[in-house]
Order: sequence, then structure tokens, then C-alpha cells
Amino acid sequence: MDYELSPAEAAWRDEVRGFIRRNVDPGLASETRLKGNEGRGPLALRFHRALRDAGWWGIAWPKEYGGLGKSAVEQWIFIDEIESAGAPMLPLTVTSVAPTIMRVGDEQQKREWLPRINEGGIDFALGYSEPEAGTDMASIRTHAVLDGDEWVVNGQKMWNTMAHSATHNWLAVRTEPDAPRHKGLSMMIVPMDAPGVTVQPIWVWPGLRTNALFLDNVRVPRSNLIGDRGAGFYYAAMALNFERLAIGSVGMGRRMFRNLVRLVRERVVDGRPLKDEPWVRERIARLAADLEAGRMLGLETAWAIDQGRMPAAESSMAKVFVSELVQRIADAGCEILGLDGQLHPEEPTALVEGRMQWLYRLAPMLAFGGGTNEVQRDIIGFLGYGLPRK
Amino acid sequence: MRPEPTGEQRELQEAVRGLLSREVDPDRLLRWENEPAACDPVLARTVAELGWIGLGLPTASGGGGADLSDVACLVEECARGLLPRPLLGAIRSADALATLDPADPLLPDLASGRGRLALALDEPGGRDPRGWKTALSGPRGARVVDGEKAYVPDAEGSDVHLVAARDGGSTAFALVDRRTPGVSVQALRGFGGDRQGHVGYRAAAVLREIAATDEALARVQRRQAALALAEMTGGMAAVLEMTVEYVKMREQFGQKIAVFQAVRHQVADMGTTFTAARHLAWQTITRIAAGAPRDVEEASAIAWVGQAFKRVCWTAHHLHGGAGFVVEHRLRFHGERAQSLCIRWAPEAPALREIAAALLD
Ligand SMILES: Cc1cc2nc3c(=O)[nH]c(=O)nc-3n(C[C@H](O)[C@H](O)[C@H](O)COP(=O)(O)OP(=O)(O)OC[C@H]3O[C@@H](n4cnc5c(N)ncnc54)[C@H](O)[C@@H]3O)c2cc1C
Repeated sequence: MDYELSPAEAAWRDEVRGFIRRNVDPGLASETRLKGNEGRGPLALRFHRALRDAGWWGIAWPKEYGGLGKSAVEQWIFIDEIESAGAPMLPLTVTSVAPTIMRVGDEQQKREWLPRINEGGIDFALGYSEPEAGTDMASIRTHAVLDGDEWVVNGQKMWNTMAHSATHNWLAVRTEPDAPRHKGLSMMIVPMDAPGVTVQPIWVWPGLRTNALFLDNVRVPRSNLIGDRGAGFYYAAMALNFERLAIGSVGMGRRMFRNLVRLVRERVVDGRPLKDEPWVRERIARLAADLEAGRMLGLETAWAIDQGRMPAAESSMAKVFVSELVQRIADAGCEILGLDGQLHPEEPTALVEGRMQWLYRLAPMLAFGGGTNEVQRDIIGFLGYGLPRK
Repeated sequence: MRPEPTGEQRELQEAVRGLLSREVDPDRLLRWENEPAACDPVLARTVAELGWIGLGLPTASGGGGADLSDVACLVEECARGLLPRPLLGAIRSADALATLDPADPLLPDLASGRGRLALALDEPGGRDPRGWKTALSGPRGARVVDGEKAYVPDAEGSDVHLVAARDGGSTAFALVDRRTPGVSVQALRGFGGDRQGHVGYRAAAVLREIAATDEALARVQRRQAALALAEMTGGMAAVLEMTVEYVKMREQFGQKIAVFQAVRHQVADMGTTFTAARHLAWQTITRIAAGAPRDVEEASAIAWVGQAFKRVCWTAHHLHGGAGFVVEHRLRFHGERAQSLCIRWAPEAPALREIAAALLD
């Protein structure tokens, strides 16, 4: 048994940290905090360009597609360091959609989309959810019918985050109305500038923007249906698995926690150093242990992927544990900072830029989004421990 | 024992519920948040005319003469219906002033809604009254107050501040006109958009002084906490109710999500939490109303109910999924109030410390 990073992994971590030191400044961190900014501000775009210039855009991509071919553990290290530094994450276009296209697209589709993604010219919004299709993705109603060499798409998507800045939509649509629910979906790439595409903003609790997307007789080239017809449900599940790797990272939690610890060390309340309060010490210590537990779950998942396994139960464990841990960090932060911590994030004197309150508002979505925790718990039971389904 | 509201209290709550369901909705709350007074003047007038603000004030001061339990019933229902926070604050601050001096000449104005009072207690250095530095000085008839108060709710929107201060070795309260020279308010927005302020008092002339004791200050704070408990149980009731409705209506996988055992169990836990919290809260509210001294059960209520409210909101958010996450949903207002009420009026740590001390020291 060995729990230490290998020399190569440690060297990679240091390289990532060096990159972050050179390319992340406070301006970038504060830009990502602006209301309605989901990581597409000018400084974030500059950071993304630096990643591309370093050849790090496709860190997880195989070398044949212009990627770095890094292992899952190395990716995990990268995500963890980036999140921990408060830098904008790699877009899901690169970490979730592209790897799926690599695995399921035909040669022409790979040639058409991957190089453009790699150059930063394509940015996807992810169009799975609908008003009636949340956790139950197989009930998607948006549909596409073939008309000559084009698909004609009609329907409505919900929670289509980034649709207002994306170039394309990675859209789950029903193309086989007569097939069983799971076998009737396909994944399709829809350009956002296609006639008939309308985007309507939806603002959510933590101040983020997402969107409703309306598709009215939108015509899409036939070749934009990625991979096989009717396999969309499985492709979406694959893409979501890639996405979960990032949700299960404790990087953001660690950053928030680190900021909290820094504040606790220096604050004096009612004439006493906050750090001398026994309950504060216990809460902080408990969170530190939780973060380490979460780190183990994430790392194990990554390691199992490198062994050629599909660690579904492990990645679900990481997702459930970390999403609920983030909520505990937020709540502890709110309680520990007390009145000093309850200012609106836009108030200049708000401690840690109001991030504890923000995290308190963000946390629920980590638990029900990205594959809700109930379903993740089912997966842990079924796939992890072979519990009977019936 | 009779752990439920009286018929009269129920009637009051129904009347409140009727009005608020007509007059308050998330779109309006969002709009009011951006208005200078942070609430609708018409609603504010209606609420005052209906006697809600003055409900617990002495009849001689234009109030309804009701006791703390009745006021808490009102507040519970107001919280359930998301009455804008400045109006809930008006009920609270009127109670504080009446507790200190039931004959204060400002009370009729508060009852009628003509005047608004802000409670200036906490200071930048902390929340322990023993450490507060704001002080009164000067000869009789020309008294002034100096100091700094932090996170004063409604500091800017109010007409008068009730400032907790030191007067030599003892505690006193000073009523200070917000517009008097020497008062400077730095407006702040709290989590969820509520208005607060940092207030500096520099030789600010005192309108009136209320000699008090540490016990009087504690009485004010206990009643404020009692009203916070009522706000929390009201919010919890609303959150539980909307979640029960939602899981019975929302379908996934071809069935109501309420059919999933994992969902049912979470609703059951919310219900258990709410039921226990409500009784803990009301045991304390009724005891404070009856003038009982502070006891361990009171500390238990403080420690428990706030945490319960947060847990209930958290589960409700989870069960609503994306639908409850939009800024226009009622749920998120309750989620905000849960955290801010907890922080201001029901922090867990000091209450637990008090329980432990009672049991162990
Ligand atoms: C801010 C935000 C951004 C988002 N961005 C995107 C995006 O870019 N692209 C996209 O496609 N989607 C996006 N989503 C949607 C997100 O993926 C969904 O919210 C999520 O899938 C849950 O679906 P739902 O909200 O409809 O909740 P529902 O599926 O209706 O779930 C409601 C409750 O029922 C429970 N439940 C459901 N099924 C079961 C079951 N079988 N067993 C037990 N319990 C169950 C859930 O756990 C939950 O508690 C976003 C959502 C938000 C809020």
C-alpha cells in the first residue's frame, strides 16, 4: 500500500501550482465572484487562453487528439489545484463533452469538432434537463425529425446554463419516438445562432444565471447527431460521469475552508480570539477531517479509473459526500462568522467577499444537480454492494 | 397543558394568512427589496391600521394590549406569509421599547405606523453587552451618546434609534433621532437583501433616556429571541407545507416523487423536526410571556429551533430541485431568513454553553 503521490504526480502538482501562481491574480478571483458571471468574464477567458497556450486545454485528452494524455489521478490533481486557487474551471465542453465525442463520435465528427474545441472556438451549453425531465432524463420530450439531410428540432430545455454565451448546445433530443424511453434519445450539436433558437434568462438563488431554451423548427445538419441514433441516453450518462469527477472534488471546499481558517485565526470577538472558542475549534477540526475524507474518496475514484475500472460506486460516494460537506462548510462558516459574516456579497466589507453566504445558497444545487444524491446512493447500493433492486 | 393556539389566536392567524396570501408574493418581495423603504408603503399602512404593529403595546399607547404569546402568534403567521422584514422588525422594536417603558410617548407613533424605530444593540467588537462601549454623558437635559453600533436592522429607514448604552456603571437606553447631528449611518445590505447599518453616534443629542438595568436588557433580548422563535416556526411551517404539496405534485419516472421512499423519509424527518421545534419554541415563548425566569429549556429552544429551521430549509431545497432554486421561489426567502435569524437571534454555541454550564458547573 502506498498513499503518497508518485514523484511524477508530485512534480505535476508543483507544475500546476506554478502555473496558477503565474496566471491567477486577485482580479481574476474577484471577477469570478461577480453576479451573473459563470466563468466567462474577460479575465477568465484570458486564463483559458493561457491554459491553451500551455497545451493544457485537453489535459485529459489522449495525445492523438492534441491532448496531454494525463492520467485520471493527474487530472484530479489539476482540478483540485485549480478549484483550490479559485481559478475558473476548465469548461465542461473540454472535460465532459469532448471526451464523450472522442469515445462515441465517428471519425468525421471527431475531425470536425475536436480540433475546434481544442482551439477554444467552441463552447457548449449542456441541454439535458427539461421542465418535466430532471433526474428522470429518459423522459425528455424535445424531439427531432429527419427532413432530407437535416434534423428539425422542436421543444424546450430548462436550466440550460451558459446558453447565453455558448456557441453551441449539446442537446439531448428524442429521435426514436417508438423506441423504449431510454433507447429513443440522441445527442445532437445545435449551433446557438441557428434560426428558431431562443434563450430566456433564469436567475437562481446564488446569483447565477441559467436559461430556458426554446427550439422552434430549428434545422441542424444530419451529421450533427453524434454517434449512434438512439444511444443518446447512454452518451449523456457518460458525459455526466465525466462531469461528476469535478463535482466530487474537494478543491472548492478546501479554498472556502482555508479562507475561513485564515479569518478565524485573526478575528477577535467579544474581546477573545475567535480561535480560542472551543466550539469553533471543534467545528474547524471536524471540517478538516471531513475534507481529508472527501479527498480520499475523490483520489480513490481517479486511481480506479487509471486501473481501467469504471468506479461508478466510488464516484457516487465522492459526489454525495462532497456535496453534503460543502453545505456543512458553508453553515459552519456562517455560524462562526456570525453577524460579521452575514453581509451581502456585494458589500465591500463583507468577510471573505460574502462567500460563506454564497456557498450556503449554492450548496443545495450540488446535492440535487449532477445526478441527485438519492440516485447516487442507489448506485452505491446497487453497484457498490450488489444490493438487490427488487 | 394545551400545546396549541387558542381559538382567538387561530382567528388572528387566519386573518393574517388571508391578507398576506393576497398581498405578498415573491415578485413583489423582490421589487420591494430594491425600494428605499425596503417594503411597500401601502402594505405598511395596512399592517399598522390592522393593529399588527401595536398588538402587544399597552392600550393607553394605542396598542392592542395583547401578551407576548399573542404577538408571537401574529409574528409566526407573518413569517409564514413572508411579511417583509422591515415590518416584522417594526413589531419587534415596538415590543422592545414597550418592554423598557410601557408609557414611552413614542409608542403611539409606532403603533400607528407613523414612526419607525431601530434597535441598536450589537457593536463592532461583539455581542456581549459587558463589552459594549457606547456611552451616555453630559448634564441632565443635555445628554449625548457616543459610540458605534453594528448591523443595526433598518438603521437608515427608521426615524428613531433605541440605543443600548453604558451610563457610568449601569445600563441605559437612549432614544436618538436618526436625523440629529452626530448620527451617521453607513447603509449595509445583509444576506438576502435586508437593510442594516453601521451607525456612528458622535455627541448625538438624546431625545429621551430610559434608565434600565442589565435585567431589563436581558428581558428585551429574551423577548426578541422569543419572537425570533415564532418567526422560525412560522417559516418552517410554510416550508414544510410547500414541500409536502410539491412532492405530491412533481412527477419523475412516471410517478409522484412522493412515492420514492427516500423522498418520503425526508419529508417525515422534516415533519418530525418541525413538530419538535414548534413545541420547544412555544414552551419557551409561553414561559417568557408568563414572566418566568430563564431556564435550560429556553436555551434548548434557542439551540435547537434555529438549527431545525435550517435543516428543514435545506431538505426542502433538495426535494424541490431546480424548481425551488429560482430567485422568484418563496422557498429561498425562507432559506435566507433561516440563516440570518439563526445568526442574529439563535446562535447555537452560546445556548449550548449555557445548557452545559447548567448541567455541569
Ligand atoms: C443553477 C442550475 C444550473 C443547471 N445547469 C444545467 C445545465 O447546464 N444543463 C442541464 O441539462 N441541467 C442543468 N441543471 C438541471 C439539474 O441537472 C437538475 O436540477 C437536476 O437534474 C435535478 O432535476 P430537477 O431539478 O428537475 O429535480 P427532480 O428530478 O424533480 O427532483 C426533485 C426531488 O426528487 C428526488 N428524486 C427524483 N427522482 C428520484 C428517485 N428516483 N428516487 C429518489 N428521489 C428522487 C430528487 O432527489 C429531488 O430531491 C441545472 C440546475 C440548476 C438549478
